[in-house]
Amino acid sequence: MTPPTIKAMVQAIPRSLGAYGPVLREIEEALQSPQCSLNAMGDAIQKDPDLTARLLRLANSPFYGFASRLSTVAEAVGLVGIQQIQDMILASSVLEQFKGVPDNLVSKVSFWRHSLAVGTAARLLAMERRLPKPDKFFVAGLLHDVGRLVLFSQAAEWAQKVFELYQRERILLRDAERRVLGYDHQQIAAELLQNWSYPAVLVQAVAFHHAPDGSIAQTDAAVVHVADHLINAMGIGSSGEHFIPPLSEKACAALSLGPEPLAGIVAAVDDQILAVEEAFLKRDNGSVK
Amino acid sequence: MIRIKAEELKPGMVTAREVKNIDGMLLAPVGSVLSERQINILQAWGVTEIAIEASEEQALACDPLAQLPPESLAQITAKARARFWKPDEFGPVSAEIFRMMLLREARRILKLHPPAP
Repeated sequence: MTPPTIKAMVQAIPRSLGAYGPVLREIEEALQSPQCSLNAMGDAIQKDPDLTARLLRLANSPFYGFASRLSTVAEAVGLVGIQQIQDMILASSVLEQFKGVPDNLVSKVSFWRHSLAVGTAARLLAMERRLPKPDKFFVAGLLHDVGRLVLFSQAAEWAQKVFELYQRERILLRDAERRVLGYDHQQIAAELLQNWSYPAVLVQAVAFHHAPDGSIAQTDAAVVHVADHLINAMGIGSSGEHFIPPLSEKACAALSLGPEPLAGIVAAVDDQILAVEEAFLKRDNGSVK
Repeated sequence: MIRIKAEELKPGMVTAREVKNIDGMLLAPVGSVLSERQINILQAWGVTEIAIEASEEQALACDPLAQLPPESLAQITAKARARFWKPDEFGPVSAEIFRMMLLREARRILKLHPPAP
């Protein structure tokens, strides 16, 4: 038996916005309109009460740290920015898309907790390093291990084989993937995000998060790499890996990163992670997905 | 020199390094004798850890790792090392991350500033 090709797995997962489609379409339409205003944006978002609640929760949390309390969606749109809100909706739709993945190999709550923490840390690291558009790193961090979910959902029996080898020989999970499948979760994610027409830089950051120096977007990949290492070491959630994969000194050099800023970044992640989890993982009934 | 959390600062402590906020703005130069007001300012800027001058005894009293019984410290060190794929290839950044892992675990054991779940 040969493992499924990356293409075959990825083609089985078309880009779907699920329940978020109508809202995103309305936002896009409002953006096209010459009369586009913050209020029009707010109205489009408010048609989805669940999204509205989550947006206000995040906008009023330490993740943004605004000095005063925001109570209307139009205010939140104005301060958070429309690009960020579109990213948040896209991220929510990805979580939605994989909610059926079985929990037997990795708990989904643990997986998303890890992913959200890496997104949060990547954004903070980018801010600290004064990189342009630090918010985009949240999405890159959030999606860095999404290739694993594709494997679990599309080829459960192969995922099982990967985990057997990984547990038997106590090697890195990604090395087990390479030995069993001939490719790893980075390549699966790259193909998926490319198929979904995500920006090329984001695809690069995800595709090279274990070996940033191979990427043409080395800085972006290095941010996700360092954030992933940091969150693994702090033990916030897990994407299945029981070891902490090595930190690339080249990645640190690419960011001119020394040891000094790390404690501040970890403290800020601790400060923000609860609000981020609530915004992305909580259901209407208050339970965690 | 010891590094302590902003909420553990007390008036009269002396900074051993420059204190900057996350944007790199200087909040206190080296050798500042901290007043109550300055401490409030540092905390308001979200500064998390501060290097301050300390005698050896003070350093011991403030370091969560020094407060742990030696066998417990050895245990968490071994546990943290075992989680690394290659713990012998530590660069300066990895070494700091390892120190933070130990501190996090020590604070958890000593029930100081519990980190988020």
